Amino acid sequence: MNIVKLNRRQLLASTAAIAAAAAMPRSAFAQSGSMVASVFGGDYADILREAVDLGIMEPMGVEVIQDVISGEARQTKLRTELNSRRSSMDVAVLADLDMFPIAELGAFAPITEADVPRLPAVIPALRKDYAIPQIYSYIAILYNPAVVETPPTSYADLWDPKYKGKVGVSDILHMATSAVAAIVGGGSVSDFEPGHKKLLELRDQQEVRIYPSNETIAAALQSGEIWITVNYVARAYSWKNAGVPIEHAVASEGAIPIAFEMAVPKNARNPEAGFAYLNAALSPAAQSAFTTKMGYLPTVTDAELDPDIAAQLSLSDEDQSRLLQLDYTYLMENNTAILDFWTREFKA
Amino acid sequence: MPFLVLPATVLVLTLLVAPMAMLFKISLNQYSPTELMVEAMSGENYLQAISDPYYQNVLVTTVVVALLCTLICVILAFPAAYWLARMQSRWKSTVTVLTLFPLLVGGVVRAAGWIALLGNEGALNALFRLFGSTEPVQMMYTPAAVVVGTSAVVLPYMILTLSSVIESISRQTEEAAANLGARPLTVFLRVLLPQAAPGVLAGSVLVFILSMNAYATPVLLGGPSFAMLAPAIYDQFTRAGNWPFGAALAFMLLTTTLVLTALVSLGITRGLKRA
Repeated sequence: MNIVKLNRRQLLASTAAIAAAAAMPRSAFAQSGSMVASVFGGDYADILREAVDLGIMEPMGVEVIQDVISGEARQTKLRTELNSRRSSMDVAVLADLDMFPIAELGAFAPITEADVPRLPAVIPALRKDYAIPQIYSYIAILYNPAVVETPPTSYADLWDPKYKGKVGVSDILHMATSAVAAIVGGGSVSDFEPGHKKLLELRDQQEVRIYPSNETIAAALQSGEIWITVNYVARAYSWKNAGVPIEHAVASEGAIPIAFEMAVPKNARNPEAGFAYLNAALSPAAQSAFTTKMGYLPTVTDAELDPDIAAQLSLSDEDQSRLLQLDYTYLMENNTAILDFWTREFKA
Repeated sequence: MPFLVLPATVLVLTLLVAPMAMLFKISLNQYSPTELMVEAMSGENYLQAISDPYYQNVLVTTVVVALLCTLICVILAFPAAYWLARMQSRWKSTVTVLTLFPLLVGGVVRAAGWIALLGNEGALNALFRLFGSTEPVQMMYTPAAVVVGTSAVVLPYMILTLSSVIESISRQTEEAAANLGARPLTVFLRVLLPQAAPGVLAGSVLVFILSMNAYATPVLLGGPSFAMLAPAIYDQFTRAGNWPFGAALAFMLLTTTLVLTALVSLGITRGLKRA
């Protein structure tokens, strides 16, 4: 008797479920289910989880699974899965200069307004057809104001003999640091060759300290092991909030903008959910959350910013006009050579 | 009953031989910045790996670190293994589990422990400050930190291998030698050590291979300027995106490990026969 009852209940439940599914609009149906967002860890993942995964995607009926790995591991996954039937992720986050070569391989689905309705709100200079800019910051000179009394004005200040032994660089920012050396050495964002001499000077005359990660740079600034470095202003913002004695100065040569971008692999399992995720990441709420908590600037024009934070982070019109945009094509073609010099000559 | 080895053979073929064959094919390809790689049949990557002074140095560093770790492990593990093997107390199984215990903690976590100990703001430097040192002693990001850290990771393998061999050596042979007037050192050198040599060999091979292929400890304790082969291979695959060269380096590491292991094993076996 019991068995029959149970079966009838099950039957009723499934009939109701089918009826509900049939009543759902088609777009909602397409975006339901689960998706994988391959993202960076730490605060970054927490903010996304709160503002995007739980704040926007879950109410839409999409369960977001975070695949927290390093950017390097993500690039390798994307390259490996290029010709697979299905990608292991529906959304991939990478820094703009890393995203470009993967996009060149044809890994991503094109971004259109039809799929990402928030696209028109994106700052035009940051728009790409293979990814959305999720957040951005810029590279500037970071220093400890307690010991560096005159704020630095040029990247060349890192080569000032008075900072000998007190200059630190982050191994993971080898591209940006090589770019800075190139500019100081008379090269440009499209010619790093003149930077080689300057990198070796940094090593031999300035006795630069090389740290494995940005976190170890923060610890070194905190302990007084180093006084001056180049890094993201967003990092300086979080470290300052955490009590690290730190200020930033935009170099007269120009700040180097770095955007973190999100793209949907063309072989994603659930591309509809992927695009919805990109759209959610561009929402004013998600954008503001990253600014307030991590110091990254919004990539959309309509996100509200706390005036205090805006004053700390935003670039002046003059600084905006002389941004040093890295040359993606040059970097892609010379990636191995730049890394080789960094590893074999500079770090050796 | 040859079918009994079938499951293991299938597993090894699909999970080891096939990927290795693929990796070998990749190592013959050519690097291209705009594509994943270009299909080719060229030994160029191997030539570059072998002839490049930078990678020669990396290889030498790797071998020296692995040999030092092996030596340190033999010296530290022998007394501990002897004590464990000859132990007759009811605590023996507990001590064995305790020896194994470090293996339950991942290499990264153990490296984090070393960072807390050896860092400029770490426990040891705090101790030195108590005794009046003003400048921190740089211990992190040194080759010594890598050797110490790696030895600590592989030590349990050596202790357990040695103790199982020492256990099988009859205690009476040591007693007989002592009874005939041999001093403890003579007993050790002429009775115990020759009998334990197969254990020393097995343990050394195990520890040497593990140290040659160490990744997490060199990266975390050696810092950005210290180069060993496993991290260099990872760098080629992930940062440089140069899979063919990374694959060639991987085979260089594999071949060096195999050749050195074979040579050492052969040397010790011959030495044993002569003794």
